[in-house]
Amino acid sequence: MIRFDNVYKTYKTGTDALRGVSFKVEDGEFVFIIGKSGSGKSTIIKLMTCEERPTQGSVYIDHFAVSRMARPLVPVLRRHVGMIFQDFRLIESKNIFENIAFAGEIVGMPRKKLVQTVDIVLSVVGLRNKASAFPQELSGGEQQRVAIARAMVNDPKLILADEPTGNLDPLTSEAIMALLEEINRNGTTVVICTHDSNLVDRMKKRVIEIADGSIVRDDMDSGYTCAIDAPQEQCEEI
Amino acid sequence: MSIRAFTNSIREGFQGILRHPLVTIASITTILLMLLLMSVFVIFSADARYIMKNVGQQPPIELYMKLDGTEAERTAVSNYLAGDTQQVLYFKLASPEENYNEFKTNLGDSSSILDNFDYNQYLPYTFHIQLVNPAYADEVVMHLEAFPGVNKVMQERQVMVFLTQATQWVNVGTAVAFCVLFMISLFIISNMVRISVYSRATEITIMKYIGATNAYIRLPYIIEGAIVGLVSAVCAWGITYIAYSRIFKILMAKIDPGSFYALLPMSSLSNGILLVCAFCGILIGAFGSGVSVRKYIQV
Repeated sequence: MIRFDNVYKTYKTGTDALRGVSFKVEDGEFVFIIGKSGSGKSTIIKLMTCEERPTQGSVYIDHFAVSRMARPLVPVLRRHVGMIFQDFRLIESKNIFENIAFAGEIVGMPRKKLVQTVDIVLSVVGLRNKASAFPQELSGGEQQRVAIARAMVNDPKLILADEPTGNLDPLTSEAIMALLEEINRNGTTVVICTHDSNLVDRMKKRVIEIADGSIVRDDMDSGYTCAIDAPQEQCEEI
Repeated sequence: MSIRAFTNSIREGFQGILRHPLVTIASITTILLMLLLMSVFVIFSADARYIMKNVGQQPPIELYMKLDGTEAERTAVSNYLAGDTQQVLYFKLASPEENYNEFKTNLGDSSSILDNFDYNQYLPYTFHIQLVNPAYADEVVMHLEAFPGVNKVMQERQVMVFLTQATQWVNVGTAVAFCVLFMISLFIISNMVRISVYSRATEITIMKYIGATNAYIRLPYIIEGAIVGLVSAVCAWGITYIAYSRIFKILMAKIDPGSFYALLPMSSLSNGILLVCAFCGILIGAFGSGVSVRKYIQV
């Protein structure tokens, strides 16, 4: 469970990224966070991974106040949160197997179990035959699937994705979203920051819209611009 | 950190050396040059101290008994010198006859002029004294002058003062040079490794995002730095060994190894140089690398 309690974030430059944001995400939910560039949606992801700390307010993940978490505990938190980025962030000097296995190695997973786990996640993302390839030999969609596989290795309860389809064509984006939806169906909470209106509209999941650092909409089974079944006047108001 | 994670870090450290061979070679060369300079200072300092010690132990103190001094008075001085092992390294009582023979020997071909010299009437008993440290001279002289039967105690005061000061200068100079060289090499190697770390900055950031601890990220770089430092140390030691052995052979070709200005042989210095090089090399390499990573792990 994720909980934001009246969170404010002002960067050192003086930019107010978040202004009193409060929301709750239950276990197993699939949530889109949408908004214009600079609206504050990436800051929400950064606060959940302790990359940034709130100026005011609290962020909780599974009842742990991650906003006040001690520095040495941050790696422990990140091992339980799978992260997916727009630019994939794969290590180019390691092959696909090593890139995925690396997430297990840092937690000291036994070699035999690690090999089995990597094999399973590679099968899930459909890249079992690419285990020995290097990231630069793969397409953008394949690289993002590798990133998803890496995020799954430690069996996280939460996956955070920051613009996961930002560098992908529409067809590949659909495949990536389908994969994330499949992971969500197995009980993993998925939170995605995105600009991709088509995907948001098509998937009809919970949508939290951020504008100028504040939540302006939080709808279940909604679309990019407005809840599918919301009254016309409410949509116009937004 | 688990054992498996630790062994992974060590493996990564070894792989890192081969991953950027040019940076590795540049790092080894930098540390090697610094260690060579350090070795030269260590050898210079060791030789200087050795020579000072030898010079300081030559008999700069000469004690002359009165011509009418008694056996008991000489025994009292002898007993004092024999009992003061903290300050007195060695002493020798010379009889008038022995002093006479030494004069004759020093005169060489002209020694016949002393043939009819009545040494018992003009030459006293003397003590040749070597001290553990030239700095003790004033205290020892003061004690000796107080004994009955002692005519005068002569010391090469200026030489003693110079020796004391020179020993201090050499020690301070070596310590300062050592610290300065250490800091310079640490700075250079830290910047050198930064190039390697910069090329892996993305990798480090990714590692942080997927939950690697700072120690896990740092350890391979520290091990890599330590290995580079150790290799540099062994090379520096080898070069120093060969170079100094040759210099020693040339310089000592016509010098008696027992003379006070003889140099220390490499066999006496070898282990010390290896230890200093290994310690400094590993410390510089490991610390320099660890510091370089710092900037990139604050994610």
